[in-house]
Amino acid sequence: MMQMSMRIGESSWTNPHGNVESAPRPLGPDQRFAAEKQFSFVLVSTVREAVGNALGRNVLEILTSKGLLDDASNLKEFDRKLELLFGNGAVVLERIVVKDLNRKLGIRYDSEAGFDYEKSLETARETCFMESRLK
Amino acid sequence: MSGSEILSTLLGSEVRGDLLVLFHRNPGLIDTVDGVARRIGRTTIAVISEVRELLVLGVLKQKRIGASEVVFLDRAKDRELLESVANHLKTVRIGGEK
Repeated sequence: MMQMSMRIGESSWTNPHGNVESAPRPLGPDQRFAAEKQFSFVLVSTVREAVGNALGRNVLEILTSKGLLDDASNLKEFDRKLELLFGNGAVVLERIVVKDLNRKLGIRYDSEAGFDYEKSLETARETCFMESRLK
Repeated sequence: MSGSEILSTLLGSEVRGDLLVLFHRNPGLIDTVDGVARRIGRTTIAVISEVRELLVLGVLKQKRIGASEVVFLDRAKDRELLESVANHLKTVRIGGEK
């Protein structure tokens, strides 16, 4: 009985929507690379849209020329640059990015909950990977 | 007002960020504060003081249509303010500039 429940425990997975699903198969190195690349692409395009929508095309072009978007998937570096540029406004832009990203990936966004940019992107990345596994 | 001050006002809160995105995505939008609040999924109470800040800055304008007070984007002022922000950001060094 215990063995059975352990097996059930191993073969289920709670997705970001809170639903329990059967465990997806692990990604191979090529699939993992492709999923990383896809996530990075989605993230950078979301950052571009968020900054462009909030502050306009001119500001977006300046940020691009400053290399802000060169490695937007390097969260710590992106966060550092954003804070240097926008000070306290950085967190507002990060929230806009996460909100857009979550909408694209079908993850619920709660504006009342505490906000952690890295954690939010980690959840988004996991969702992207899970979708790759389920394909 | 300096570019840095304009930037601080524009990104002064999450609601203000949402309002900017809403009006930049829909530059022709004209709506009441209630309607704007609904569009960004907030309550009127949460939005009213943030709209006021953007009215003071000049990025939004207000007018009366019939019995309703409506707000809308002042496109010329918005362009002017974002130009100041862009000029300010040009001067900030973050490393990695090309």
